[in-house]
Amino acid sequence: MAATLKPYLTAVRHSLTAAMCLQDFPSQVVERHNKPEVEICSSKELVLTPIVVSRNEREKVLIEPSINSVRVSIAVKQADEIEKILCHKFTRFMMRRAESFAILRRKPIEGYDISFLITNCHTEQMYKHKLVDFVISFMEEIDKEISEMKLAVNARARTCAEEFLKRF
Amino acid sequence: MAETFTFGTSLASITCHAWNKDRTQIALSPNNHEIHIYSRDGNDWKLADVLNQHDLRVMGIDWAKNTNRIVSCAADRNAYVWTQGEDGKWKPTLVLLRINRAATCVKWSPAENKFAVGSGARLISVCYFESENDWWVSKHIKKPIRSTVTSLDWHPNNVLLVAGSTDYKVRVFSAFIKDVEEAPTPTPWGNRKPLGQLMAEFKNSLTSGGGWINNVSFSSDGNKVCWVGHDSCVSIADATNGNTVIRLRTGYLPFLSCEWVSPNSVVVAGYSCVPLLYSLTADNKLVLSGKLDKSQKRESSGITAMRIFQSMDRNMRTENTDTVVDSIHQNAITSVRIYAGDKSSASKVSTSGVDGQLVIWTVEQGGINGGMRNLQI
Amino acid sequence: MRTTSGRTTAWTAPQSGPDETEITTLLTQGKVVEALLSALQNAPLRCKNQIVKDHALNITLRVLLSIKSTQIDQAIDTVDQNDLIDVLMKYIYRGFEIPSEGSSGHLLQWHEKAFAKGGVGCIVRVLSDTNRA
Repeated sequence: MAATLKPYLTAVRHSLTAAMCLQDFPSQVVERHNKPEVEICSSKELVLTPIVVSRNEREKVLIEPSINSVRVSIAVKQADEIEKILCHKFTRFMMRRAESFAILRRKPIEGYDISFLITNCHTEQMYKHKLVDFVISFMEEIDKEISEMKLAVNARARTCAEEFLKRF
Repeated sequence: MAETFTFGTSLASITCHAWNKDRTQIALSPNNHEIHIYSRDGNDWKLADVLNQHDLRVMGIDWAKNTNRIVSCAADRNAYVWTQGEDGKWKPTLVLLRINRAATCVKWSPAENKFAVGSGARLISVCYFESENDWWVSKHIKKPIRSTVTSLDWHPNNVLLVAGSTDYKVRVFSAFIKDVEEAPTPTPWGNRKPLGQLMAEFKNSLTSGGGWINNVSFSSDGNKVCWVGHDSCVSIADATNGNTVIRLRTGYLPFLSCEWVSPNSVVVAGYSCVPLLYSLTADNKLVLSGKLDKSQKRESSGITAMRIFQSMDRNMRTENTDTVVDSIHQNAITSVRIYAGDKSSASKVSTSGVDGQLVIWTVEQGGINGGMRNLQI
Repeated sequence: MRTTSGRTTAWTAPQSGPDETEITTLLTQGKVVEALLSALQNAPLRCKNQIVKDHALNITLRVLLSIKSTQIDQAIDTVDQNDLIDVLMKYIYRGFEIPSEGSSGHLLQWHEKAFAKGGVGCIVRVLSDTNRA
């Protein structure tokens, strides 16, 4: 399994580098507005072809670029029920705090667990290569985080069970 | 050797920049509604004036060299012509653009009696001064533009205008205003002259759809048009050769700006953060003939081996991937301007970008046929 | 006004897609590189018919997955000489969208090697091209 992690992350990194070429773009539909085109899709010529990079059936990344914004959605590996629950709780926890997370989208795209929305404002304030690094390290971290939490949950359950069974 | 400058204390990105005639002053916008004028003082830049009239982000600035006027346009749908008063301060005059979307780009014509403004309203306003009413008025070129106009450039004959837009097309229009000028002489682009006449239209690519046009430029003799699209391609169309398009698909990120530096070579720059020199060879091929950024890969000093291994261990990585961009610009380059010389032979160009830096580069061209000699390198 | 488009490069896009029997024959003969070239050259990119496109995608993916890791370098060199690396990249990305057992791992190898050859520019062209594979 681990053999495909590095090529997977490398492919995502290159795809993100290519997709994150954003520029300021005032809306050509509404006066004095400036909105992420990937979200409002006002003109189809401003939205690029979305691409998917997948590691297997469950782990994949969807990248939807447009002229001034790119939406990156990640499907996290969920092998069993506990991982599913943990992943859901974890992503929900972060998305409820999306405003302090700058590039996090409040709601994931259907079929994915967590989505980022990166606009030209973000690429202007932050270095683009650091943003790419962030998404990549996020993908590395979340797998690790979930498996650690799973271990913690199991350990706790074991202790609980032992305490409970002492009475008998 | 490249000179790099930053302006003021902020590291805000530079949306666009323009030079005055003797390159002692620069007008730039720090990615907001203001335009800052800096005067050069040795190796330093002093803030000379702040032009504060727009109320949304400034999208384009151009400085008329001979008449010393600045024109600016912004996302607030307005354009102003700025003239310098006796006291050295700049005074704005509003231009009646008659558009209802953002004004995205602006360029003075070579004779400096007109300028053109591209906009998100899918049209180009060609503006000229009406002396009886004492204001700038505009005429529109609408058809057949289907999307936002991203860039403009004037033909040296002061009449033809090339426009690139996000509908993947480059178009050459006549921008003849009969009230202010004499009829032009015919060019290889054709001899029809009414305002808005479409002289030529090029798709960004014939083989594949897509790719917004990010920048366009007429060559010094006006017979060629170079454009860069969002598909990482550089294209040159030649009117003297039946409007054939020479297109090169590069392996870099898309380019945002292009400028001719000799009759057969262009400097392009964009998201890859390095300005590149492309030349036309004698057999009409476009080749990479030089990189302006010669900076070496930086030594990763300050990181001890222990820290590297710690970070690798923590992140379960097998190699150190703290990415460093080993170019002078650390983020996308948004505009390229000629600093010394002109389109027929430029020796220095300036670039500004999202990282807030302005860099002046020396263009090394081996004689007149620049690209040919550099080819061997 | 002069007509400007279509004068120099009259692009005749194949509408029917790759020839399945030809490619199957090439595959059984072990001529995998030729099979890949044939599939990419006849890619119905501008075709409007989704069935034709899907069919071509299936054939191309079958070819991609039947080329062994050791042959990828050689295949990519040939593809590059024929200026088809952009088309190859398109199919690699399409392949990622329909992962099956082990396919993604193999496609990741393809991606890595095609990227090494075509640079980030060929990914940009997958994004910007409106003709989808």
